[in-house]
Parts: sequence; structure tokens; C-alpha cells
Amino acid sequence: MGIVADDADRDIISSGDNRVSDDDARAASRRDASGWLGRYVGLLIAGLSIVGALLLWFAVSMRSPNVSRSPRSGTVFGRWQVFYDTQAPALMVAMGAVGLGLFVALGVAVVERVVLDRSRRSTDAALKLLAPKLVMAETRGVFGGPVTVTVLIPAHDEAASIGATLESLGAQNPAPDRVIVVADNCSDATEAIAIAHGAEVFLTIDNAHKKAGALNQALRGLVEGMGDNDIVMCMDADTVLDDGFLAAGIQRFTSDRALMAIGGLFYGEDGHGLLGQLQRNEYVRYSREIRRRRGRVFVLTGTASMFRPRALRAVAGSRGGLLPGVHGDVYDTAALTEDNELTLAIKSLGGLMASPGECRVVTELMPTTRNLWTQRLRWQRGALENLGAYGPAPTMLRYWAQQLGIGYSVIALSSFWLLIISTALATDQWVWFPFWLGVGSVFVVDRVVSAWSGGWKARLLALLLFPELIYDMFLDLVYVKGIFDITFARQANWGHVDHTSGLSTEETLEDAPQLTKATS
Amino acid sequence: MTGFHLLAGIVLPVSVMQTQWFAVLSMFVAINTVLYLTLAVIKLLPKLYLSDWVNRSNQRVETRSIYPEAED
Repeated sequence: MGIVADDADRDIISSGDNRVSDDDARAASRRDASGWLGRYVGLLIAGLSIVGALLLWFAVSMRSPNVSRSPRSGTVFGRWQVFYDTQAPALMVAMGAVGLGLFVALGVAVVERVVLDRSRRSTDAALKLLAPKLVMAETRGVFGGPVTVTVLIPAHDEAASIGATLESLGAQNPAPDRVIVVADNCSDATEAIAIAHGAEVFLTIDNAHKKAGALNQALRGLVEGMGDNDIVMCMDADTVLDDGFLAAGIQRFTSDRALMAIGGLFYGEDGHGLLGQLQRNEYVRYSREIRRRRGRVFVLTGTASMFRPRALRAVAGSRGGLLPGVHGDVYDTAALTEDNELTLAIKSLGGLMASPGECRVVTELMPTTRNLWTQRLRWQRGALENLGAYGPAPTMLRYWAQQLGIGYSVIALSSFWLLIISTALATDQWVWFPFWLGVGSVFVVDRVVSAWSGGWKARLLALLLFPELIYDMFLDLVYVKGIFDITFARQANWGHVDHTSGLSTEETLEDAPQLTKATS
Repeated sequence: MTGFHLLAGIVLPVSVMQTQWFAVLSMFVAINTVLYLTLAVIKLLPKLYLSDWVNRSNQRVETRSIYPEAED
């Protein structure tokens, strides 16, 4: 199951009713701006997935499959009696399923490739402002100076973690040219720690739009005067970069002047027991998938991403017209997952993006299922809202396919559990199915291999299969809830783990129930 | 007979497994499982890129480096 990971839960948390009602108003205006698709995108995805499943169900019914026979029995080592069933799908049916799988995989890959190639080769200066051919033509023979890096770190009461973040930046070789901490309504020692580490501090003024709003304020004055090779990096205040992140990013931006953005590859921090390992496995698989895609980006993560100022200027200038959002804003403050939205914005304008394997960051994991639920619900809603806002444009097909794929997998996994449970409840003997045992073992191999680089704990968990299947079911429930919420316009929470108090934002918000009340 | 089946199953009667809908459900799950198996095998195998094997005509014709004089 694919994930749409983005800036996880480091959004700056609003602390007053006014902010929440403002978020509501913005989310509502965004839905209105996106028209019926904005509101019903969830139902559309769910409907298409259900129609697909129903078609298959009716096709199977038409063939009137044989009702199951009684299992046979045999003895092992002449001593233990075992029951087994040699049931397996007919060859034609199996071949059909294999063919369908190949068709889906190949279809998505080919469509994505064609769309990407068309976008990259575009010379449409009106729509594809960031297309490589246009950028190349504009910068041909012009030297804009060596690559410099300015890091922006939005921070709201991040005294507990900002020091480690700044130290990880200082340890990079080469170190960034400028580090600016964007202090947003801080009431702790964030600013003092930033200054003590030699960083500049930018204070936001009347910011009501959390992290996206804070970054917009800082970026507005910054990117206008920047040269083509003055790279801007946005990273979270509790993110630690791996060695070599900046060096690899600088090398990429140096060797390709058409490259508009680089997204970090994230992996999970240590700890948090089984739930932590389940999340780490998920991130390991995501990184593997990006490597297999040779760095082609799904999302420019908010945890750490680098941008050419040309891309940020083009996005800001296109909002309110070609792109959703307010003209002049780099980040769309109405988007629940603003980094996912910025990825789509740059992609829509034809910009080239990459996630090099060397650009790795450690990301925070959710310590409890409640935190995880909140985080993933926000990602899911954000992904759906962005689909609604951008519509069925060719560059969006990959993301539509991903959501449809998850939608169908919800049905497939649910029916699998229904079959397993009803079989278990209707039999009083353990029956072995050799064919399905064989199939299951291939799944186990797939799970283990895809999580291999996560170490022996990751492999062991993958080997057990069922914990990850249950985890998938949990994510499926989030998916269904996300569709329900977006359709009936419930407000999404910003999941955030409070490092200082040990309380999750969700828990903090529960102290003020008016913040979490559903508002239609 | 039903009583026997009720006794034979733990919670549901064994006859559930002899019904048509159960057979359809089994086949539905079987097809989906094989479909996802195919996708899993595809993800398990090394990804091949046609461009690695075919001498493409769209090789870069000029440097993309920020240094105009750089060799690509």
C-alpha cells in the first residue's frame, strides 16, 4: 500500500478558537473553490473502487463457482492426522488475475512515464512555467554564481529540539550559508537557542496560518532577490539531517540547472516499540520504492526539502490562477498537507524534482495509535483535498491511481479477513491449503525483502506477516474515515507530539473540546 | 442435519461453507490474492528500465550544469 507521506506532525499548533475558526473558513472556501469535486472527491474514489469490486464480484457469480468440498485427511509420519484441501483457482482464472495485475502495474507505469516525459519536454510557457526546456533556454550561457543554501526552520515552541536540529545543520559539510529560524508566536526559549547557535531569527507578525503562514511570511521577502542558484531549504525544527544531505543536494543543483526541487527521504527514529517498528517498516518500503523509481518524487517532504527560488516564485505568482491558493503565497495555507500541495504545484508547472538516495532525514514517529490515527487522517484528508483542488489533470493521474489503489485494497483486504474469519468460525478442524500456503509464503518473502534494509527487527516483523496485515487494516480504517470526513466536511486535527510535556496535541486539544468539535 | 452442522462449526454452521455466496466470496478473494501476488512479485524483482537497453535519441545535447562551460 502506498503512502503519501509528507511533513508529518510538526505543524505549528494553533492555540485559540479564532485560529481554528479561521482554518475552518479557509478549508470551507477551498472546498467551494474546488467545486463539487472538492467535496465529493472522496465519494468518487470510493464509488469507483466499489464499482470495480462489484464488477469482479458479478463476473465471479456468473461463473457460479463450485461450492467447496470436504477437506481430505492424511497422516504425517504415520502418526498425526492432518486435514488438507487442494483447492486452487482454475488456471484460466489465475491467469486472468495475473494478467489484470500486470495490466494495472504496466498501465500506471506507462501513463506516468508518458505524462512525465510530455511535461518535461513541454515548451508551453503559459502553463508549464518550470518545464526544463524553458528553464534551460532562459539560463543558457548565464552563470548565476555557485550554489548557496539558505535554510528556513519554522518553529513554534521548539526549544526542546531546535538545538539538535541546528547542530545537525552545522555538522553538514559544506554547512549552509544562512540559517533562519522562523519563530512563530514562541513562548519558550526557541529564539534564544537559535541565536546561541548562530542562526538568524525571523519573527512572524500576526500569523494565523500555522507553519505554512509562517513560511510564507519569511519567503516573501527572501526569494524575490535571490539568484537562480541560491537554494532555499525548508526543514522542520525537530528534524535531523543525515551526513551528506546538503553536499548531495548541492551537487545535484550544480549539475542540473533545470532541477527545481529536492525532497528528503525520511526514515523513522528509534523507539516506540511495535508501533514504532511498523512505521519504520513503512518508511523503509517507501524509500525503497523511491530508489526503484530512481528518485522520482511522490512528495517533497516538509521535514526537509530544497527549492530553487525560481520554482517558489513561479508557484507564488501562479496561485489564484493556474494554481489554488492566494496569489503571492508560496504555500497554500488552506491545504491540510501543504508540502504535498507544493509538490503538486511544482509538478503542475512542469518542474523537475528528485529525491536522491543520499538526502536522508530522521523523522518523528507516532508513539500511540491515537497519535498515528490523527496523523494519518490528516495525511489522507490532505491528499484527497489536494486531488479535489487539482482535479483530473494528467500530472495528477498517478495520485488518482494511488488513491483508487488504496480504495480497492480496502475492499480486497476486508473481504480477505471476512473469508478467513468466517472459515475459522465455521470449522472445528485445522485445514491446510497447500496452494494458499504457497501464495502466502511469496507475500512473506515480498514483505521481508522490501523491509530488508531496515535491519533484523524490520525483517522479523515482516516475517510474521499478520501484524503488518493488521496495521494495514488500521490504515484502511483511516482511509475510510478520511473519505467520510471530507464528504461530510468534518474538521481535521493537526496531530502533533508535544516533546516538552509528553502530551500529544490530540490530548492537549481534548482539554479544550471546542477545538476538536466537528464543524460542518 | 442442521443441528449436526451447528455442532460441527465453532460459531457458524459448517453449512455456511457450502453456500453459493461463500463460494463466490472465496473466488473473489482468490482472484484478488493472485492479483496482489502479481503486484508483489513485480515489486520483488529488480525494476528494468527500457532506456538502459535502448540507445535513446533523447540524450542530453548540451550541459545542464550551472557552469556554462562544463562538460555534460
